[in-house]
Amino acid sequence: MSKIRSIAAAALGIACMAAAGSASADVKLGALFPLSGELALLGEESSRGVELAVQEKNEKGGLKNEQIRLLRGDAVDNNQAIGEARRLISVEGVKAIFGTYSSARSVAASQVSELAGIPYFELVAVSDDITNRGFKYVFRSNPSSSDFGGAAVHSIVDLIAPTLNVDPKSLNVAIIHEDSVFGSSVSGAQVAAAKELGLNIVENLPYAASTVDMSSIIMRLQQAKADVVLQTSYEKDTILFLKQSDEIGFKPKAVVGAGGGYILQPVADAVGHDTMEGAMVVAEAHFDINPAAAPGLEDFMTAYKAKYGTGPRSSHSLTSYVGTKAILDAMEQAASFDADAIRAAVYALDIPNGQTAVGWGVKFNVKGQNERAQMLVLQWQNGKLVTVYPEAAAMGKFALPN
Amino acid sequence: MEVFWQLMINGLMLGGLFAIVSIGLTIIFGTVHVVNFAHGEFLMIAMYIVYLATTSLGVHPYLVAPPLIVAFYVVGLLVQRFVIQPLLEARDPNVQIFATVGLSIMLMNLALLLFGANIRATPGEGTRALIHMGGFRVLSGQLVIFGLTILVVYLLQLFLAKTHLGRGIRATSQNRAAAQLMGVDVLRIYRITFGIGLACVGLAGALIAPMYPVAPTTGTYFVLIAFVVVVLGGMGSLKGAFVGALIIGIIETLSSYYIAPSLKEVASFLLFLLVLIFRPTGLFGSGQAME
Repeated sequence: MSKIRSIAAAALGIACMAAAGSASADVKLGALFPLSGELALLGEESSRGVELAVQEKNEKGGLKNEQIRLLRGDAVDNNQAIGEARRLISVEGVKAIFGTYSSARSVAASQVSELAGIPYFELVAVSDDITNRGFKYVFRSNPSSSDFGGAAVHSIVDLIAPTLNVDPKSLNVAIIHEDSVFGSSVSGAQVAAAKELGLNIVENLPYAASTVDMSSIIMRLQQAKADVVLQTSYEKDTILFLKQSDEIGFKPKAVVGAGGGYILQPVADAVGHDTMEGAMVVAEAHFDINPAAAPGLEDFMTAYKAKYGTGPRSSHSLTSYVGTKAILDAMEQAASFDADAIRAAVYALDIPNGQTAVGWGVKFNVKGQNERAQMLVLQWQNGKLVTVYPEAAAMGKFALPN
Repeated sequence: MEVFWQLMINGLMLGGLFAIVSIGLTIIFGTVHVVNFAHGEFLMIAMYIVYLATTSLGVHPYLVAPPLIVAFYVVGLLVQRFVIQPLLEARDPNVQIFATVGLSIMLMNLALLLFGANIRATPGEGTRALIHMGGFRVLSGQLVIFGLTILVVYLLQLFLAKTHLGRGIRATSQNRAAAQLMGVDVLRIYRITFGIGLACVGLAGALIAPMYPVAPTTGTYFVLIAFVVVVLGGMGSLKGAFVGALIIGIIETLSSYYIAPSLKEVASFLLFLLVLIFRPTGLFGSGQAME
């Protein structure tokens, strides 16, 4: 009996060693994105960036000479984001999780990983809350929503005032925004940034995105003598505002949109290219930027096309690709795949601006936010979106129409 | 003061727009006693048709109006005959409401399937030209909408008052059973009324398309206002819908300038509540339409 037991024990030991052996042959990483449900399209687009970065790393020999096995989790809603994070960590034993595209799901899932002591890398979602909770193992490589709001305000100081040759404090700034979470959070960041810079806010008007008439808002801006209008909007309200302003004869010196409707070609076509001319928009990534400021962008495009058969459907894949690539490079330098070793290596990352495929550099601050993640300023010129800021990434010269 | 009068003009023009959208709804509601929740979606489909006709055939948006009115009249007959009529005798009148809600969801998703989610703008073709009138400004398209709305209300009133068919419609809306006893073919009246209601939507679509971009959800923006206008003016009353629409247009414009753009609905719905409390039949409602 004891003989059988010892044989069994030995067999078990060998099995365990074999299992341990195969585990050390490849390192497991989790990719948690909404792959079904209403966020599926852009969730999947974001996950493609991770897949491409991992594939590239594996082709170059893998992470510390181990092949990376990417395990996907489907964060279809907040509850499932939590469940899938648990599964990836406790059943699959991943060393780190990459995600998530949706802010709410990122906040939910990273609570699980933080408790388990597994690093969580957010690559796409913008909510400030993700990195504001004092978590030890949560990092974000992309710009946050306060960067988003701040960028529009900084463009007044860095671009608009110098071009007009005036003191930025002498410009009347008006902020208008649709009144859901998107508009309120971005405009809140705009107000905070404008106050910090001592700019003169003359109006701050929320409105419902379902409005069918914006003439009263425009007349208020006219009365307030607004020089610069910052709008956070969806498609229809962008079109209404720009068209009605043109008809009413309200011509601010500059209009700056925050992503949303301003970045879309169909909106520019609907507004009319003459009216759209000169409108500015802040965005976290754009494919049409100076290749010298975004080394690797062309390789990314080629690799994307080879793997998926089409060009990227949005820039989310580019931002997640750049974030993943930087983190994998850090993990390569880490002493081990232990959470604290990864954390130390990620903090040691120091990629200057202009050295990644998206343009911005990587350097994490105390909160785990990439402080070099900066927004681009684009401008509509002759019916096309042209990158005008930062200068290194610019494809065209910033100009204000008269 | 100049700003105030410009706002009043803007408000009147916006009211004209709300009125043209609401006429069809109030006619159907007053006579067939069906709340047509698909009203906004029919408007959206009409706007898409105008967009397609102008961009692919190069015709002026207003030229699409006559065929659109005829086509929508026929669609109205068919909807009444094959969707609403089989449900008329249903024990619970809510069933008809569910049917129109279903129709609305179906049309919205049909548009999503056919045209995609992208927003489309019909070319203006001169309808967005600025007209200056003594220091104030309006768009030519807004004036056309305002003028045509008055004309349509007047003609429909005349039709209801003077013609045999019109009297049949009024009789049916006042008392269905009595009208039937007097030999009125009530089902036929219902079909024609639904047809007229949708024909008005077709006209509205042709007039609004060059002024506003269209997307599959566009109908929902207009339909809520249309319901408010119809109830405010008195259900089934054409004059009421017109006056109600102007009041809502002016209140929304003034309140979003003088109070705040995000509070304009508060102002218009407050008035709506007050009217309902002190005059439950609406401004011009006779009460007869509300069995």
